[in-house]
Amino acid sequence: MDPQPLHEPTPLVAQDAELSPALASEAPTNTAPADAATGFVPRTDLSALTGQVAAVRQQIGQVIVGQQDLLELLLVALLADGHVLLEGVPGVAKTLTAKLLARTLDVPFSRIQFTPDLMPADVLGTSIFRPAQGDFEFRPGPIFASVVLIDEINRAPAKTQSALFEVMEERTVTQDGTAHRMTAPFVVLATQNPVEQEGTYRLPEAQLDRFLFKLNVGYPTLAEEVQILQGHHSGFGGTPLEKVKPVLSAQDLTALRQQVGQQRVEANVLEYIAKIVGQTRAHKALYLGASPRASLALLNGAKALAALRGRDFVTPEDVQTLAAPVLRHRIMLTPEREMEGGTPDEVVKAIVQSVEVPR
Amino acid sequence: MKKAVTSAHSCRRQGLASCLVLLLLAGSVLAAPQPGRRVWQRRTPPPADSLLATSLPADAAAQPPLRRPAAARLQELSQQHEFQYTDVTETPANPSLWDRLLSWIWDHLSRLLDTRGGHLVWNTLWYGLMGATLIFAVLKLLQVDITKVFGRAPRALPLAYEMGQENIHELNFADALAQAETAGNLRLAVRLGYLQLLKQLTDRDFIAWQPDKTNQTYLRELAASQPTARPAFAELTRQFEYAWYGELPVSAALYQRVRETQRQFGQQLSGAGRAAHLT
Repeated sequence: MDPQPLHEPTPLVAQDAELSPALASEAPTNTAPADAATGFVPRTDLSALTGQVAAVRQQIGQVIVGQQDLLELLLVALLADGHVLLEGVPGVAKTLTAKLLARTLDVPFSRIQFTPDLMPADVLGTSIFRPAQGDFEFRPGPIFASVVLIDEINRAPAKTQSALFEVMEERTVTQDGTAHRMTAPFVVLATQNPVEQEGTYRLPEAQLDRFLFKLNVGYPTLAEEVQILQGHHSGFGGTPLEKVKPVLSAQDLTALRQQVGQQRVEANVLEYIAKIVGQTRAHKALYLGASPRASLALLNGAKALAALRGRDFVTPEDVQTLAAPVLRHRIMLTPEREMEGGTPDEVVKAIVQSVEVPR
Repeated sequence: MKKAVTSAHSCRRQGLASCLVLLLLAGSVLAAPQPGRRVWQRRTPPPADSLLATSLPADAAAQPPLRRPAAARLQELSQQHEFQYTDVTETPANPSLWDRLLSWIWDHLSRLLDTRGGHLVWNTLWYGLMGATLIFAVLKLLQVDITKVFGRAPRALPLAYEMGQENIHELNFADALAQAETAGNLRLAVRLGYLQLLKQLTDRDFIAWQPDKTNQTYLRELAASQPTARPAFAELTRQFEYAWYGELPVSAALYQRVRETQRQFGQQLSGAGRAAHLT
């Protein structure tokens, strides 16, 4: 599952068997502070945040079995105002999870199926001439939504993929000299299949860099698969999507994001992030290292993850947990390393292990 | 019946005769000489003395007349640049020192290269340069890092910081704690107390200290080696993280409580270590 634990695969606690050690290492602590008397409690009230996130989890949990790590990182991306690229083989509920997450939010949702003949105007919109008025009118494309699910993003050619550059980074679409601003929140959830090569196009590096996380969606465990089968055998009682209700409005999400932005980050932890990202630029196995945008992504993601865990400050553990999802799509292996069968995750793991944890 | 047979015989005889006449006519036509048609015949060689008998006609003019340009015209033409086949070096009237130096170098170079050995050197240098340019272009196109050939490290940006690692086994905790407490830096004191506990855990092989491990990793290791010690250490870890990463202001009273908890845990570790040693 994603991300992989860096040191010990041994489960830490028996509190939640579905969570991997790396993600489940800390349960949210603000709900029952063990040391409230001594003052070791969050100085920011995070109860609203954790409560609303728990509600989203509960809604999605009605349909999705397992995939807790995936769900947690999707929520982190949502709180960190970042886009997510989901990669996995067909049939592991990538699209369903993204659709369910969008459904828990009371915001406009749009889905674009990327195909080889898709044009940029099909995504962004186009200007239509109005003979009566004698002028052009901009007709917004499907990208104008708060949560945009781009299914099979690598099936469109680079021309169409490039159309997303501006809107993903600057949250604007410029057409005929006019910049159309997207309404907040704006999140792109894209899926792609890593196995199929026929009729697919590799995503440009510049576009990959615009995704906060690249999440590898794996197969369920045996127990989870049995649970999936049992659920389907007994019948879901209607379309799975209908079971999920919106629990988070756009205003709620904006407020949560503001809270996440105010998380504390100690100077040494900032330096730790910079060192990890800096190491990618000096590593022998890498042809291309990560940009400062990766450092910012790691910082914002770590702040959101800390908030989800009930802390108002970031720890090196948060940074380590998010290193692979943030960096794996932003680095390029050297041809020699690729021929040896190396993977970006292995290199990221080695880099994280080479940097001393600030303590 | 007999009459019919004789008539058929007479007809056949007439046909053969007419064919024969036609063949004879065609042969005579082909054998007759035709205008423009070459007829190959064996020539009989002329007699040997016939060559001597026929002689060439005598040359009427003994010597051809030569046209000579006028001397003035020849002089005029020889002055023109196009008819001067040797390079004329234009030397300035008053050459500077720099001009003279350049002229001297060029003279020597041309003298050197204008020999058989010089030509060889020049050609070798020229072809060598062309070959090197070609190889360089190919390597550049293939993006081959030739610096590896000379044993150098691959191109990578140097790190802009020191990768120093703190070793808890070299720290004098008693002195450092006393200094931090005296200076009123209680956050640092909480940190040092926690590091001291990590050292004790490492010394007793409850955890394996590594600079890249997080506190949560140590908690997992402790849960595996000393499950009973985990809850207390989890609380100490929480206190340390709130004080250090969370930049929580640590008052004197709070510090006293934390320090006391750390001491108690240290004593538990000593007891657990002795018990483990005895078993």
